[in-house]
Amino acid sequence: MDEQSTRRQNSWLITGASSDVGLLLLRRLLAKAGEADRFVAQGFGDLAGIAPLVQEYPGRIQTLDVNLADAAALPAFLRMVEQTAPPLTHFVHLPALPVVNTKFKNFDEARFTMDMQVQVHSAAAICRRFLPAMAKARYGRVLFMLTSYILGTPPRNTAAYVAAKQALYGLAKALAADYAPSGVTVNCVAPSMMETKFLADTPQLIVQAAAEANPMGRNATPADVVPAMEFLLSDEAAFITGVVLPITGGSA
Amino acid sequence: MDRARVMAEVQEIFRQNFDDDTIVLTDATSAADIEDWDSLEQINLLTTIEKKYGLKFNLADVRGLANIGDMLDLLARLGVE
Repeated sequence: MDEQSTRRQNSWLITGASSDVGLLLLRRLLAKAGEADRFVAQGFGDLAGIAPLVQEYPGRIQTLDVNLADAAALPAFLRMVEQTAPPLTHFVHLPALPVVNTKFKNFDEARFTMDMQVQVHSAAAICRRFLPAMAKARYGRVLFMLTSYILGTPPRNTAAYVAAKQALYGLAKALAADYAPSGVTVNCVAPSMMETKFLADTPQLIVQAAAEANPMGRNATPADVVPAMEFLLSDEAAFITGVVLPITGGSA
Repeated sequence: MDRARVMAEVQEIFRQNFDDDTIVLTDATSAADIEDWDSLEQINLLTTIEKKYGLKFNLADVRGLANIGDMLDLLARLGVE
């Protein structure tokens, strides 16, 4: 058999796909993907950014506009993924609420609950739905977006964000152990401050200070992070699971 | 720059930020004089001042600020009238 006929059909679910990282990841994956590979791209209210890719690769990307903060919307979302995509081989989880730098005495419980829903509960629900089938197929790649704030001492005033990311890290570690025997890997990337639209609400002075404090004198960009993600999602990374890869210019 | 007017405007920003109408600023007022004025509040204050006067501070602009007098000098240098 030639390589094409033996090639596995990859089926991707990317949540938070309309983020700057999601868009670059999608673009790079599509450029290398086989004709039969399919992508489900979840975003919330901002999927227009994916439209050029949908046009460029007709029939390959299914976009789903779903609010992951809404627990009640999750079951329908999971059903939709199941019905429209081939059995998943890859799951990449990127969504998070933007960081709000605030003193702990002003901790916003409602926002924290929402961030936990968006980042952690949705990841757990998606994994619960799709990882058993990946395990049965003896192949799966799962990747979560973390932050270098979970490595060492985080900056002050980031309790909600750091707590949610640590919970997601815990989920990744536990699932990596659970699924290691079945060919499913679960890994994370942990970039330092990344200059994307995610920082829209972060004061420029904080962004500048982070760049200046970085050993390489700048903040991360999606182009620094996405190739590392692609590696952890590749077949070649089969013996790597449960890791957090810092992408930090040496800052953590 | 109308220094007295700008001082009054900056004082109002401080009062709003710290929710304290008793704050009275002078050139010598520094972080040591206002209990909650820490690095996060410094960023919040600077961001509010940027919006008020349509400015963008650079890190280099704000690093050496020791007190309100330095802040008003900076605003004058940046063309606040």
